[in-house]
Amino acid sequence: MLYIEDLTKNYGTFTAVNQLSLHIPEGDLFGFVGPNGAGKTTTIRIVCGLLRASAGKVRIGGMALEAGKRNRKRLIGYVPDFFGVYDNLKVREYMDFYGSMYGMGHRDIVKLTDDLLELVNLTDKKEFYVDTLSRGMKQRLCVARALLHNPKLLILDEPSSGLDPGARVEMKELLKNLHSMGKTIVISSHILSELSEMCSSIGIMNRGQLVAAGRMEDIMQMLAGGNRIHVCISSDMEPAVRFLKEQAGVMVDSVRENEVLISYDRGDEEICVLIGRMIQSGIVLTGFHREEGSLESLFMQLTGGGDR
Amino acid sequence: MKLKLNPIVKKDMQVAARSMRISWGLLAYEAVLALAFMLAILVIQEDVSYSSYRNIYNYLIYLFPVLAVTQVCIVALIVPIITASSISGEKERQTFDIMLTTCMSPFSIVLGKMVSAMIRILFFVAASMPVMALAFVVGGLSWSLLFYFLLTIVLLSIFSGSVGIFCSAFCKRSITAVILSFVIYFVIFALPFLPVLFAAILGWDSFGESLLFLLFDPVVFFEEFFMHIISETSILGGVSHAFTKDQVGFITYHLAQGKLWMFVSAACILLLSFGFMLLAAWKINPLHASSGRKRKTKGAE
Ligand SMILES: Nc1ncnc2c1ncn2[C@@H]1O[C@H](COP(=O)(O)OP(=O)(O)OP(=O)(O)O)[C@@H](O)[C@H]1O
Ligand SMILES: [Mg+2]
Repeated sequence: MLYIEDLTKNYGTFTAVNQLSLHIPEGDLFGFVGPNGAGKTTTIRIVCGLLRASAGKVRIGGMALEAGKRNRKRLIGYVPDFFGVYDNLKVREYMDFYGSMYGMGHRDIVKLTDDLLELVNLTDKKEFYVDTLSRGMKQRLCVARALLHNPKLLILDEPSSGLDPGARVEMKELLKNLHSMGKTIVISSHILSELSEMCSSIGIMNRGQLVAAGRMEDIMQMLAGGNRIHVCISSDMEPAVRFLKEQAGVMVDSVRENEVLISYDRGDEEICVLIGRMIQSGIVLTGFHREEGSLESLFMQLTGGGDR
Repeated sequence: MKLKLNPIVKKDMQVAARSMRISWGLLAYEAVLALAFMLAILVIQEDVSYSSYRNIYNYLIYLFPVLAVTQVCIVALIVPIITASSISGEKERQTFDIMLTTCMSPFSIVLGKMVSAMIRILFFVAASMPVMALAFVVGGLSWSLLFYFLLTIVLLSIFSGSVGIFCSAFCKRSITAVILSFVIYFVIFALPFLPVLFAAILGWDSFGESLLFLLFDPVVFFEEFFMHIISETSILGGVSHAFTKDQVGFITYHLAQGKLWMFVSAACILLLSFGFMLLAAWKINPLHASSGRKRKTKGAE
């Protein structure tokens, strides 16, 4: 559905997106994650044709970005991170306006508007003025608007920013719904755990580059292979830490009040041996467990936790 | 085939009809017009009472130029303000990106914005018709004149609208766009006079074709239009009579005869407007325009 190849965008001497290559198959729900300034919005705007790439190719549904502009625009529904609405325009007219911008007939628009408003749960707001809607409602209205011309690819830039937890869940449900209807969805976010629940694949971006991408399961596997171990100790910490440091292959990452975080890149048997030795040397162990494969820690690891 | 209304026009009309601004605008427009009307009547009355044998009704014909010039001035001032804030207004409201991702081509966006501004201004002008009609019914002007007057108003709104749109496309903020459009306005009004001025200052034997630049000047166009109405002659026509053929260039000499000048001038002004609109459309197309900070101003020909 969406091929991105060696996409580069320079702002003067600054490279916002650096040789990004990505392939999103049809029917995917793709999560695009990265810290502030990673270049997510830039990439998305290029894909939507709102920004010219400095280099690289983007193909949507087999169509190059430049060729067949009108048809390409029909393929994409775009929900920007920041958007405004018009004053003095009702929800119904708002939808009508964008529908006619896509050259749709009035009757189709009316029918689709009803369906879509129902989908995003705004049916009772049909005669409201758009500028009187709440932030979350506007966001959902914008999604409905983006779906009006029945695009194959829906691109949302941080759809849950500024929403309360309830609205986030609603938005998530909405997107899952759309996904099950067979739409290809690209969604960007800062928050990995939010995406991990719904996305079928994700790409992690940092400093304009894609640092990891793949199916959600693969990414999760990467986490499972993590080798960080939490060791909880109720005896004296100092000798315990000293002991751990002496062991071959053990790296002490951090020491907390009664917990040591170590990296130990060995198999399970060797870990058992290590536990045995610790107990033998008189360390009172109260806990010993592998770190939960948290997406956030992987994220921090991959992106260096850095803003730039 | 059903002619489809440009969606932007429809939306802008809906929004404008609900805002109070259009009512206040209409009020202000009519107020200024009424003021001009009263002043004109006052002057005419004074004039007539000096020489009591004259008939006041014959003088009411002068209501027309007064009201018409007033309207031309108002339109010339309002239209750029409306259009200058149209695209930059969408940018400020952050609705412009969404608009660009729809199937509307940049040129039809520009066109839609132009037409909606023109409709709004024609709405004002239409409201002034009863007052204008006084000059025709009582003053005895020909009705075709009213028609021509409307055409010139349309021409003017196209021209000033395109200048506004042009600035709107090149500026991020509405207020700078408005200011810039008035700057461009006065450049276009003044610049065509430069070659003539040069010729006069340097004391050349012949003006050559230097007068041709005035074709692009809306001020000259309206001067010609009103001179024709009032006195059936024109300044430029006077020029071509006063000068012999070798004092002005061949083309100028023939253009300045009769009404030809006005039609050619109208075409030139339309051409200029079209150029502005194309440039605006080019600028708002994200795939053409370079990264955004470049600001280009196109002077007059
Ligand atoms: N018009 C511009 N001119 C210059 N630099 C820009 C411009 N737009 C974006 N950038 C830079 O490009 C980089 C990427 O920005 P982008 O908006 O794509 O980040 P993002 O991943 O969407 O961040 P966020 O999560 O904060 O939305 C940033 O460092 C930003 O400063
Ligand atoms: Mg962003």
